[in-house]
Amino acid sequence: METTKLPSAMDIIKKYDGPAIRIMEVCGTHTHEIFRLGIRQILPPQIELISGPGCPVCVTPVGYIDEAVYLALQCGVTICTFGDLVRVPGSAASLAVARSRGARIQVVYSPMDAYDYAATHRDEQVVFLSVGFETTTPASCLAVKKAVRQGLDNFSILTANKTMPQAYEVLKGSADAFLYPGHVQAVMGTAICEKLLKDGISGVVAGFTAKELMTALAVIMVKFSQGKPFFKNCYPRVVTPQGSRTGQAVMEQVMRPCASEWRGLGEIPASGLALRPAYNAYDARLKYTVPEMHGHGNPACRCGDVLQGKCRPSDCPVFAKGCSPEHPVGACMVSHEGACSAYYLYGGMLHE
Amino acid sequence: MNDVVTLAHGAGGKQTAELIDTVFKTHFSNPEFTADDAAVLHVGNTKLAFTTDGFIVSPPEFPGGNIGKLSICGTVNDLACMGAKPLYLSCAFVIEEGFSLAKLDAYAAAMKETAAEAGVRIVAGDTKVAGKGQVDHLFITTTGIGQLVEGVHPSGAQAKPGDAVIVTGDIGRHGCTILLARNQFGIDADVTSDCAPLWHTVQSMLSVTPDIHVIRDATRGGVGTVLYEIAGQSRVGIHLDSQAIPVHPSVQGVCGMLGLEPLYLACEGRLVVFAPQEKAPALVDVLRQGEYSRQAAIIGTVTADEPGRVVVRTEIGAETLLPPPGGELLPRIC
Repeated sequence: METTKLPSAMDIIKKYDGPAIRIMEVCGTHTHEIFRLGIRQILPPQIELISGPGCPVCVTPVGYIDEAVYLALQCGVTICTFGDLVRVPGSAASLAVARSRGARIQVVYSPMDAYDYAATHRDEQVVFLSVGFETTTPASCLAVKKAVRQGLDNFSILTANKTMPQAYEVLKGSADAFLYPGHVQAVMGTAICEKLLKDGISGVVAGFTAKELMTALAVIMVKFSQGKPFFKNCYPRVVTPQGSRTGQAVMEQVMRPCASEWRGLGEIPASGLALRPAYNAYDARLKYTVPEMHGHGNPACRCGDVLQGKCRPSDCPVFAKGCSPEHPVGACMVSHEGACSAYYLYGGMLHE
Repeated sequence: MNDVVTLAHGAGGKQTAELIDTVFKTHFSNPEFTADDAAVLHVGNTKLAFTTDGFIVSPPEFPGGNIGKLSICGTVNDLACMGAKPLYLSCAFVIEEGFSLAKLDAYAAAMKETAAEAGVRIVAGDTKVAGKGQVDHLFITTTGIGQLVEGVHPSGAQAKPGDAVIVTGDIGRHGCTILLARNQFGIDADVTSDCAPLWHTVQSMLSVTPDIHVIRDATRGGVGTVLYEIAGQSRVGIHLDSQAIPVHPSVQGVCGMLGLEPLYLACEGRLVVFAPQEKAPALVDVLRQGEYSRQAAIIGTVTADEPGRVVVRTEIGAETLLPPPGGELLPRIC
């Protein structure tokens, strides 16, 4: 299978006449590429692709946005954040709205950019919104470690970092096979996939080009037809069994597992990461005594169901009727990696 | 409408159009007011094209050009897109206190050189100096006047079903160059701006046929934004073949890393041309002989179905919508 070329993967996919398969992609970049390439159009009807909760912005709960808005408006800190988070609606306001009320919001492209901003703006208190999976978390940890080393006391982070393994427990009934996220597995290795296989959960690690995605889907079809649980690494040029030891070590050193709330999935035990006590001085929740926030979103928004594959974006009552990328109601419409945004932008309804 | 101006209002897409409609058009509307690149004015027996453009590029110098060269190309190209021979320019400078005189001299020299190449004269100007921090280095505004070529009437509303869609070279180089020059991503790539004056390019096409329906320069919002504007103004659908769109491998690589769409990266030396299918091969032939259009290509066709939409045939043979333009460019985060 390793030498599968696009035409033969395409042949397997187009000629597939086996049993129905529900395949969940758990990575936002996969979601985006699947919509961009129009992969759903060429799949046989019995193959269903479900966009899972793999976009860090989409699974970030409303209460987290409320915490960030509180820090910006009540505590007067400068918020450094990835751009996507700025427009996610909170209970009362998004960060974009907070910005128009005078909050200082700085868009950055990496945690280290936030560190650099703090280092060059010593008269401001800077909080980095630390969201993301195992792909971005090591960089947040490095930024905190550097702040400790340099004695930078105007920098802290608001953690909402998440880890995938525990989420699979919640999601395993939603799909017959997972398209495992290539970037996460590049850091974490494939031990988790092997463990899931022992529990009877099937999946393949997939890359991000058209050829890599088509190959991964073809492998799922062939293996699923054979009737036994399976695991295959279809992205071996990047993903090794052991992953990045450096990345794993820095996360282990700086962060500890904690319960975490996922939009749509609720609280999942041990599925989040928070700073270890040694780094309390860099934990924005403790530094500013942020009160507990129970966010509440727009009740009509079905982001939660979309994230579990319970409905398609177009089944949501506000999709394209009040909820659009310019005026998002839910997080899945904000991020380019969100299922609703991709469905809307790439014309999911073009051929329906 | 939000009650403050946001960066998205200046990105050249949907929000920019909204701002123009709700504010400027409301106040300025008159018979000559235009949504095209330049207004057409009847002065005595002469038909003139008239346009203006402001330049605030940061950084002011980049591989392949600087803000001076850009300020000439932008206005010359707006005139050229109307089928007008650029004649005269004026320029207004707003300069930040403390700005290097040597740099100012270098930018003025670039303006002179580019104007000479385009065959225009800079005949009037204005100079203002603003306090430190009130402008970012310097802003340049150029205004241009050109003479319309008889019998040529390109307009964004003239695209017809059956037309071929042509781009005059590889796309997205200027936007990619500027992104990298800002040095926010720690990426090095061998990309230079496509910034160029295009009157001679237009002239070469007119020597093949005056029957060119649309000529637009793809600036701020890139080729994608221009295509959506034309699809809307002409009430037609546009079908693109993703494999036919020329993109420099380095630009493709940067876009892949950052999750950006090359069709939405700015160009400063590329035209989007709509012409009857049967004229397209000859147009591409003549374009490929020109210095600034060696990679000209037919990238799609105009259809009567899907009016207002741009549909892309992807590399696996499926058809998807090109996401409509809107908002700031946001690199993805994981």
